Amino acid sequence: MNTSDSDDDSYNERTALVTSENPVVPSYRPDPDLTPPNDTASKRPRVTRRSGPAAADGGGSDQEVDADEEELTLKYGAKHVIMLFIPVTLCMVVVVATIKSVSFYTEKTDQQLIYTPFTENTTSVGRRLLNSVLNTIIMISVIVVMTIFLVVLYKYRCYKFIHGWLILSSLMLLFWFSFMYLGEVFKTYNLAVDYPTVGVIIWNFGAVGMICIHWKGPLQLQQAYLILISALMALVFIKYLPEWSAWVILGAISIYDLVAVLSPKGPLRMLVETAQERNEPIFPALIYSSAMMWTVGMASPIDAERSGQETDEEAEQSSRGAESESRPSRSFPEEELEEDRGVKLGLGDFIFYSVLVGKAAATGGDWNTTLACFVAILIGLCLTLLLLAIFKKALPALPISITFGLVFYFSTDFLVQPFMDNLAAHQFYI
Amino acid sequence: VYFIFFPGGFAFLPFLWLVNVVWFFREAFIKPAYTEQLQIKTYVKRSAVGLLLWVAVLTTWISIFQHFRAEWGAVGDYLSFTIPLGIP
Repeated sequence: MNTSDSDDDSYNERTALVTSENPVVPSYRPDPDLTPPNDTASKRPRVTRRSGPAAADGGGSDQEVDADEEELTLKYGAKHVIMLFIPVTLCMVVVVATIKSVSFYTEKTDQQLIYTPFTENTTSVGRRLLNSVLNTIIMISVIVVMTIFLVVLYKYRCYKFIHGWLILSSLMLLFWFSFMYLGEVFKTYNLAVDYPTVGVIIWNFGAVGMICIHWKGPLQLQQAYLILISALMALVFIKYLPEWSAWVILGAISIYDLVAVLSPKGPLRMLVETAQERNEPIFPALIYSSAMMWTVGMASPIDAERSGQETDEEAEQSSRGAESESRPSRSFPEEELEEDRGVKLGLGDFIFYSVLVGKAAATGGDWNTTLACFVAILIGLCLTLLLLAIFKKALPALPISITFGLVFYFSTDFLVQPFMDNLAAHQFYI
Repeated sequence: VYFIFFPGGFAFLPFLWLVNVVWFFREAFIKPAYTEQLQIKTYVKRSAVGLLLWVAVLTTWISIFQHFRAEWGAVGDYLSFTIPLGIP
């Protein structure tokens, strides 16, 4: 594929956008100060309510409340870990399956993104290292610039511009990349498909995707689409980033992530805080939300509209404070209203996790390496979510997982692999 | 939402109709009746009909194409997106 300039710009803006959002793992919503303290009688002992009883209790049974809080926090946390495991696993599975079967994505090509102009075909090791570091610097600076641009736009309320940008980039992802992907898959399996059929398929996939992500749609479909486009993006990265640059970029991005989210002047932190101040959801096209919301046994007639609205609401995460107040009054005609405010993970996180695992699958030894990286990333995700439960603010989701992943990849590739080969060669089972 | 998905499906989007059917199936048929339900039911039914129509058309077209592709010569190649290599 000839990566034209406009393609690069759009999709790297998408990348930049996506990566700029990647560390956003906001704390459980809503903010504790928004929850009304009168929800103690509700049937939903959710974590966010705990601040209610805590506030109401005053000084009395602080210890019990604390213990309860702890328990709820951890239980809550465990559920969300599972809810995030599944999409991350799915994304990685899709990427690895594609890498292993469709050879297009692992073919050596001299085409590179314009963001990584230095080639890695040089003879000496030192030169290659230097080139990859330079590539990384360029890439990271592009991402930083894009992020700051996005945050500035957001601060000055240029919503239309941002929306247009997002729509453009998701359009490109949904149509152009999936077209290429489908073509490659068909070529691999030697199927003949005609243009009309392909046209219908791609048109359907893309159009429903746009509607689902940017407007309304069933939550699971939206999640599925987000996973798919993350996988597509990751595949593009795997194909077009030269070897060593990819690893250095992964490392550099996790450091940048750490800095951008945690430091007080970091652009991502400002983005999250501004969004929280204004009580607005962060753009739906950049964040994966695992929240589910369903009502059981609705009896009142106005619930028909609400069921359409609810998925919209929880998908867009509109001001939760107002919702939670209205919920108790609505729960009388309903038998049970179960609502779970999920955790949100930025799409860039998905992408870079998948890039790591995909690269491991493409260039690493065999399944050992891939599996090791996969496990490492999941462990990192667990830890990050644990920290999230403890700190309750937006945390970068990349650093821990990527560090583990990198460590595991290199150690498995260079230490465990020869070990296992030797063992197998000598038929020595441990 | 369902009343927007339905006309949307006319733009060559049977997938949208499928989403309509699957998503609102429970609302339309399984839940106990309420006033809006009749409207949902009609839309879901119509989407299902449209979907079946499209599935039929696509299946026939694909079977025709796959079967006669080699015989059609140049026209078959022109229509093809990917051409299988090797000996059938």
